Amino acid sequence: MIGFLGDLFINAAFVSAILAAIGYFIYAQNDTYKHFKISNWLFGLQGFFLVIASALLLYIILTHQFNFYYVYNYTSSDLQLKYLISAFWGGQEGSFMVWILFSIIIGLGLMKWTREPYRGPVLFFLTLTQVFLLSMVSGISIGDFQLGASPFRSLAEAMPNAPFLQSNPDFVPQDGKGLNDLLKSPWMMIHPPILFVGFAMMTVPYCFAMAALWKRKYNEWVNPALPWTLGANVALLTAIFLGGYWAYVTLSFGGYWAWDPVENASFVPWLLGTAGIHTMIIQRKSSTSQKASIIFAILAYVAIVYETFLTRSGILSDSSVHSFVDLGLYNQLVVFMGAVTIIGLGLFFYRYKELPSQENESKLLSREFMTFAGAMMLFLIGLVIILGTSSPIIGRLFVENPTPPEVSFYNEWTMPLAIIAALMTVLGQFLFWKRQDAESLAADLLWPVAITCVATLATIIIGDVRDIYYMVYLLAAWFAVIGNSVIMYRLIRQKPILIGGTLSHVGFGVLLLGILASSAYNEMLLDESVKKYNAAIERGEITDEQGFQKTQKVDFLELKLNQPKIIDDRYKVTYEGYTLKNQERPGQQEYRIKFEPADGNGEQFVLNPQVYPMLSSSSQSNIQWSVDPDVRTGMMSDIYLYVAGSSFVERRNEEAKEAAAERRGESNASATKEDSVQVQEISIARGETIKVGEFDLTFNDFQEVDNQQLKDSTIVAIRANLKLTQRGSDSSVPIRPLFSIYVKENENWTYAPPVPIPGYDDASIQFTSVDPSNGGIDLKIRGIDTKVEEQWVLLVAEEKPFISVVWLGTFLLMAGFSISIFRHWDRERKKG
Amino acid sequence: MKPKLIIGIIAIVGFTSLLMYNFGNSISTYVNFEQAAGMEGAHVVGQWDDSQEYGFSMETKQFSFYMEDEDGNVRRVVYPKPKPNNFEEADQLVVIGEMKNDVFYANDMLMKCPSKYNNADEAEFKRAMPSKS
Repeated sequence: MIGFLGDLFINAAFVSAILAAIGYFIYAQNDTYKHFKISNWLFGLQGFFLVIASALLLYIILTHQFNFYYVYNYTSSDLQLKYLISAFWGGQEGSFMVWILFSIIIGLGLMKWTREPYRGPVLFFLTLTQVFLLSMVSGISIGDFQLGASPFRSLAEAMPNAPFLQSNPDFVPQDGKGLNDLLKSPWMMIHPPILFVGFAMMTVPYCFAMAALWKRKYNEWVNPALPWTLGANVALLTAIFLGGYWAYVTLSFGGYWAWDPVENASFVPWLLGTAGIHTMIIQRKSSTSQKASIIFAILAYVAIVYETFLTRSGILSDSSVHSFVDLGLYNQLVVFMGAVTIIGLGLFFYRYKELPSQENESKLLSREFMTFAGAMMLFLIGLVIILGTSSPIIGRLFVENPTPPEVSFYNEWTMPLAIIAALMTVLGQFLFWKRQDAESLAADLLWPVAITCVATLATIIIGDVRDIYYMVYLLAAWFAVIGNSVIMYRLIRQKPILIGGTLSHVGFGVLLLGILASSAYNEMLLDESVKKYNAAIERGEITDEQGFQKTQKVDFLELKLNQPKIIDDRYKVTYEGYTLKNQERPGQQEYRIKFEPADGNGEQFVLNPQVYPMLSSSSQSNIQWSVDPDVRTGMMSDIYLYVAGSSFVERRNEEAKEAAAERRGESNASATKEDSVQVQEISIARGETIKVGEFDLTFNDFQEVDNQQLKDSTIVAIRANLKLTQRGSDSSVPIRPLFSIYVKENENWTYAPPVPIPGYDDASIQFTSVDPSNGGIDLKIRGIDTKVEEQWVLLVAEEKPFISVVWLGTFLLMAGFSISIFRHWDRERKKG
Repeated sequence: MKPKLIIGIIAIVGFTSLLMYNFGNSISTYVNFEQAAGMEGAHVVGQWDDSQEYGFSMETKQFSFYMEDEDGNVRRVVYPKPKPNNFEEADQLVVIGEMKNDVFYANDMLMKCPSKYNNADEAEFKRAMPSKS
């Protein structure tokens, strides 16, 4: 019933959207206000239906209705509320719904604020994109053809060939498959929605550009389009930042950026949108670059749809760690992309002849030229990244079955372009606020250049930079920071609302500095012996058993429990054990790694990396572990580490393997085990702690015995108060074995039952005698491997300098763009 | 034609051809273990051979396993990092590195997993059932 309603409302929204688009089209063509009114109602109706459909989807997720494929596939009944809500956008279908919802909210805003003559076409194109998006979740089938994939389809519809469903079509699983453990993170709550806000907002400049072409009004559209484009920009940047931060602090990707296609998918539209912002600003100021503004506005949205196609059509599934697999939407996505591109570029070239072009060419040293060239740099960076991301398609020109490009491809091409862009930001800003010729510009730039040189030299000396390329890069980045700061200082004294642009440019320079420091000067934390080994490998001195030269270095830090190691003469690092208590995920261990300054002066700190079993993919015989790194954030550098292995994890794996072998019916194994139960007799003094296998056993004291439990004839009865601790962990169990002597037929008998050790089969401790001379006791321990096991942990630890600077640069960029939103929004509002 | 236009066209053509040339060099094609001999940064696609020993060795600090490529060649693969999450789950592996003396030294490894994004196939579905009920 709910499934039917859900499909009904989605398709009602779909139909409303089509009707609204038709209405807006007529309104845009004929300027009939009646059609505008009707279409607004239809648009609102579309939103209303979609909100109901979304509420239904949320309802079936929250009430665990596992007969729905979406609910079964992305949730389970033990999920916390926040992750149940996140599951809404955990899959493709739901994420399309979120995208459309934001797009509708934006449509309401456009309806209110957009003025003639652009209003009709803008709303038409926005609704048109919503028609395409809604078709992805419609789920209507016409004959053999299925339009989209509905989030409300049942298991039977989703998996028609599953045998158990054929025999019993109404079968409902007990529980769902659950959300991927890696997605169970608070970041999952906010990162995807903000990304879709950015995607939805980036539609707006596209709509305005199309409206400009339609209505042949090529100049004024940039005014209302600017705040929206800036807003899309801030949203995308925030989403990119959150994604990077998430990857860095909770996934063990080792960094904030990896040129993964999915990351690129949000970065390229941002670059093209930013290029568009630059040309729009000079178009507004000087009535040039009309063509470029339109083209960038179109391309930014095309990039969003293209990257959506790449990540959702399954085409990248070989090359990305987190791309979607085809839901059968391949053709629909191709149609969507083709339509957006052909309509956009088609109309552009149709109108090309009448588009205003510049009479006189801009001089090299003019704000028009510099800003335009800056936009071109951003465009070229975008182009390089699109090319790299498209390797599965474009690479076929070169080889069959192409692999993704090496990471160096991206770095080598974006770095010089970024250097040029950084230099241009300063020249552009110095020319932007004042007309200057070469001479006055040179005079104006004297001090910024001088300070830049000093800052660069200082950085080179302090940071021990040897690479000449890095030196040039540093110079450009410092120039961007200092040059733009000078302009910003001047603007603040005149009119602070105008600083958005310069602030963003300062942020860009800071970001460049942070990127170089954090990626090129990343250092593994290793102890001396490993370093020597790695140096020997570099010299080619290490060979393997067959006499071949080894080339792979060791990048691990191995620590034994409570045996500190000195690293780089800077840190004394100690593994202090682990805890299983109060963990968010079942079975999770939290390790304690203590860092102290090697010379004893200064602050010490503890990092707590975690390891947990992935419940969604583990089985009883095979536990799959996942890691959660810990980061110590600092102004100068971060220390980042995660646990690659530990004695605890090893032992649990062994146990799982043995248990699996037993279940397979290898009964001889357990029989021999029975015979060879280890028995160990030990003496222990009061207050003493001794090592028994993997445990530490402490004998605290004796304890009185409640007489009622004993036979009347008992003459002596005493309990030993023991504490059994897994070495390295802080979880211990109290064990209180009894020792008693009673009289039977005038003879003394002892009664001392073995006490089982919780959690271990066939393991027990028996209190066998008391040594009256010193108060010590004798114990008999059964079923524990007596070999003293060493507790260890294997870490991957890195020191990453100046990650904080990367974040700072990002925040400055966001702040700059946000100030610009206010400035342009304010101006637009006053106009109306 | 104006000289500026010509310079512009040359710059665009130069940039594009350099970019495409470099792009062409930085991608390669997926190969099998035999073809990978003598290559640097060879990408080999295959499946984990779970019938043979695998695991992380504490002595060498390496994870090693046997992999069968798409043409049926089985080779030992050595990976100098911890065993990746999802290793056993992956239905396809891509190892990137070089072949030496019949051992593949992987510097990087990608796993194609039947992940949450994927449609549940029947086998997976059946396996998931008994432990739950």
